[in-house]
Amino acid sequence: MSESYDVILIGGGHNGLVSAAYLARAGLKVLVLEKRYLVGGATVTEELLPGFKFSVFSYVVSLLRPEIIRELDLPRYGLKVLPLESTLTPLPDGRCLYRGPDGHRTFREIAKFSLRDAEAYSDYSRTMYFMARAVRFMLGIIPPDPTSLKFRDLNGLLKLAKHMLGLSTQDFYTLSKLMTMSSADFLEEWFESDPLKATLSASGIIGTNLGPRSPGTAYVLLHHYMGEVDGVARAWGFQKGGTGAIADCIARSAEASGVEIRTEAGVSKVLVKNNRATGVVLENGDEVLGTTIASSLDPKWTFLRLIDDGLLPEELTDSIRNFNTIGSSGKVNLALDGLPDLPCMPGRGEHLRGAISISPSQDYMELAYDDAKYGNFSRHPFMDTIIPSMIDPDMAPPGKHVMSCFVQYAPYFLAEGTWEEKREAFGDAVVDTLAEYIPNLKDMILHRQVLSPWDIEQMTGLTQGNIFQGELSLSQLFFLRPAAGLAQYRTPIESYYQCGSATHPGGGICGAPGRLAALEILKDLKR
Amino acid sequence: MTSSHDTIIIGGGHNGLVAACYLARAGQNVLVLESRSVLGGAASTEETFPGFKMNLGADHVHLFRPEIIEELALEAQGLVAKQSRVIVHGLNAGEPSLTLHTDVTRTQENLARLSRKDSDRYGEFCQFFSKMTDMLRETMARKPIDPMQLDARSMLDWAPVAWKLRQMGKRDMPEFLRVLPMPARDFLDEWFENDFVKGTLGSKAVTGSLQGPRAAGTTYMLMYQNLGGGPSGFAPPSVIQGGMGALSSALAKKAESLGVTIRTGAGVSKIRVERGVARGVICSNGEKISAKRIVSSADPYRTFFELVGPERLGLKFVRAVRNIKFKGTTAKLNLALKSLPIFSGDPAPNPEDLTGGIVINPSLDYLEQAHDDAKYGRYSSKPYLYITLPSLLDPSLAPEGQHVMSVQMQFAPFHLRESSWEEKRGELAEHILDTLKPHCPGIGELILHRDMLTPLDLQNRLGLREGSIYHGQMGLDQILFMRPVPGHGGYSTPIENLYLCGAGTHPGGGVTGAPGYNAARAILAAATAAPAPTAPRPKNRTVSV
Repeated sequence: MSESYDVILIGGGHNGLVSAAYLARAGLKVLVLEKRYLVGGATVTEELLPGFKFSVFSYVVSLLRPEIIRELDLPRYGLKVLPLESTLTPLPDGRCLYRGPDGHRTFREIAKFSLRDAEAYSDYSRTMYFMARAVRFMLGIIPPDPTSLKFRDLNGLLKLAKHMLGLSTQDFYTLSKLMTMSSADFLEEWFESDPLKATLSASGIIGTNLGPRSPGTAYVLLHHYMGEVDGVARAWGFQKGGTGAIADCIARSAEASGVEIRTEAGVSKVLVKNNRATGVVLENGDEVLGTTIASSLDPKWTFLRLIDDGLLPEELTDSIRNFNTIGSSGKVNLALDGLPDLPCMPGRGEHLRGAISISPSQDYMELAYDDAKYGNFSRHPFMDTIIPSMIDPDMAPPGKHVMSCFVQYAPYFLAEGTWEEKREAFGDAVVDTLAEYIPNLKDMILHRQVLSPWDIEQMTGLTQGNIFQGELSLSQLFFLRPAAGLAQYRTPIESYYQCGSATHPGGGICGAPGRLAALEILKDLKR
Repeated sequence: MTSSHDTIIIGGGHNGLVAACYLARAGQNVLVLESRSVLGGAASTEETFPGFKMNLGADHVHLFRPEIIEELALEAQGLVAKQSRVIVHGLNAGEPSLTLHTDVTRTQENLARLSRKDSDRYGEFCQFFSKMTDMLRETMARKPIDPMQLDARSMLDWAPVAWKLRQMGKRDMPEFLRVLPMPARDFLDEWFENDFVKGTLGSKAVTGSLQGPRAAGTTYMLMYQNLGGGPSGFAPPSVIQGGMGALSSALAKKAESLGVTIRTGAGVSKIRVERGVARGVICSNGEKISAKRIVSSADPYRTFFELVGPERLGLKFVRAVRNIKFKGTTAKLNLALKSLPIFSGDPAPNPEDLTGGIVINPSLDYLEQAHDDAKYGRYSSKPYLYITLPSLLDPSLAPEGQHVMSVQMQFAPFHLRESSWEEKRGELAEHILDTLKPHCPGIGELILHRDMLTPLDLQNRLGLREGSIYHGQMGLDQILFMRPVPGHGGYSTPIENLYLCGAGTHPGGGVTGAPGYNAARAILAAATAAPAPTAPRPKNRTVSV
């Protein structure tokens, strides 16, 4: 006799855990099944070398929805986000562009490159703040189906229209442009100095297989402005203990509500009888029965791998196959014997507690993309690096440091060779590029972990290593995420749901897909 | 002092002439002012070399709105369009070539030699694609709807579009919204596997834009370029008997028969604006002409920055106009040829195969790489060429047995980083011919004359700012209510009685006539809706937006 649950959540990433917590709070008996030995998915902290803790994949937080923090009482379970307040962009000529929490200093730093830009910068920040506020509303709603005539969809459309029409004319037009432009074109309208435009455009390409001059990246730029830390809009932060601590605190909150979490329990199949999901088969062959099954995996898993062929309409499987999940980002994690020193801003200053962005010019970014388009990793990649141990000393032994480098581009599909063969060459390109700006880096490296999209896929299960579970492009957003007719978390199989980043509103440590999916499930269960 | 007109139209391009016809037909006294000696703007034909009539700008007319031809009875003015039965012929330097016919079955036979799978899917693709272009076509002949300026009239005007979109059903409606903003490369990848097939099908997705096939929105452009394809999916090119200029002549004849006065060689240097109201124009020769309203078919930048003057406009509006992306990227090489060139191919193309477009673009990656050069301010080292031989369909364009050939080349960015087009003109012509030679080995010996139009020449000779053949790039951020600038998609401007009717307005470039048609309708609607205000206005009013 096998056990039975009200809800089985496949995947213990942050979205799966958020879903589970909400469902258990409504009184359901919930089981979370995670393939790895720890929960978190791409939100994990691992001690790869004694004393050195790495936020292996995702490394900063901002988008986590405040209603989730509040409703799941996350601070009580250990959520503590330390602010990440500055960005330093070192340049090849020895200069640097520094933006920090002190507005006057930031003004002066930008003015070194262009007084006009320094003046425009606060205006720009204000505009992005209002834009983010205008779209943040969308993060909390279920995308209405525009083809449906059901009351709730029509009502949803009406509410959405009302919200959009409620924006000021100027905001609406700016938003329309943000939805359609490239980040380079958008920034061109504001600024003239190359390093500033390049650094700002970086937010537009993170996680995408696009360059700063590709239309659609302005939206991704906006996506990264939507977050807040402790009520401070646009702020980014670092979770004490690494991002894994976020997953842990959600897990603890979920467990407090009665959720059972089982690790090293990968699911190989969802059981379907009479078009109704009835349980799952684990990789070890065990069956677990559940009345409702929800998958937080990406849609290629959810629809193509967990469900037997022939159970879903061909149109649906075709559109899932066409869902763009090509990964383009890599990650290099370094354990260091000492503290990096940047000649452009020497010493142990504030700047080491912020981000160091390798994005010296727009052409630099674009050239990095050109490499990736034809199946090579960027020889001179764009990087967003932080030194977590400077923000949270517990991340490394005293006097030692960890450094996290988010790298683009590393295309999942290589023109030649495999990632197993190219991984270290990619790691070398990253370290060599960094060493141009941090000369003392190479001698300090105690350990290096290089993660290509292929490795990310192997380790986390994210298909093709896409960190958003699917490109954040116009044709894959809102009611088209992951496909038309599938955007409301349900699937054509009864009592089978999706709750991962590939559903609205998308990726990042956001939690909204998990929460919205749970609310839909509860609606269907009339809870 | 000169006589007063109801309307002055600045620019005698096809859009200006279409607007003139419709306004005159409604009883207005219209004057058209064209700075060049010939009409047509970028839709003109000149006998650049004795006996050879060449289209300086556009070669094909299949996007022209059929209702305009019908309503203005242009055929009675001698307009004869000749349509090719071939959509495009893809060259691949001796490798198997590919001809797309309007006959889907014939095309499938050709495709089968390259890929069985692509051949099988092509029929379904054509059906799908024509459904999508049919839907897109609905949006053309209407003033764009602006969500921030909803009124009963525009909602009524767009109700049929909304209805048609709904009628597409559960599958096709979201599909339309999904594919429109997609990169053409992703879109074609969903359907086809062979690189050469995708290259031949997809090249038009980037025509006139500084964008590669991986840019979002290039699927929209691919559809736009193929509006009216019908069952054959893609639209077969057609030419006008006598050259593209004959379209302008037919429109001019019609306009004159409706009482329009057309003056060529009459450039406008300024639009006279008094207290925020357009009162007339000042010609290059100093002549002042007044009119109740001014309609400019010049691009928005020229209209507002040069003819009106930014000092008369609000700051936000000036900023928006300055931010219009032109990004001209097209060069054109016109050739007069001794005889029909022989193209290499397997099988070698017969003359009929050459009546449509002839494309050199072996794959979408080739196209992307061609674009890569342009991103850094260089012309493509391996360019994409779109060749037409209009004299095949219309032998009157060249002396007997001889031909005119136009080679449109991308990417040639207007802004070269390390040089100027004055210096590079000759080099570019040679480069284009070198690119052509592997596909057309004998071309060098056939050339009698050549006329190289770089983006700078397109600007100087045809008035196309930055050489942008569309009066502004047609990216997703510059269409519908965002064309030419957000909030001013309705052909009116912040200056009272000043309107736009050129390709810089919705729906955009190409020889469609739609901007002129829509502008005329908007002007007539405004004229009947509200009589001109009679109350005196405050002095020195600056229009803000």
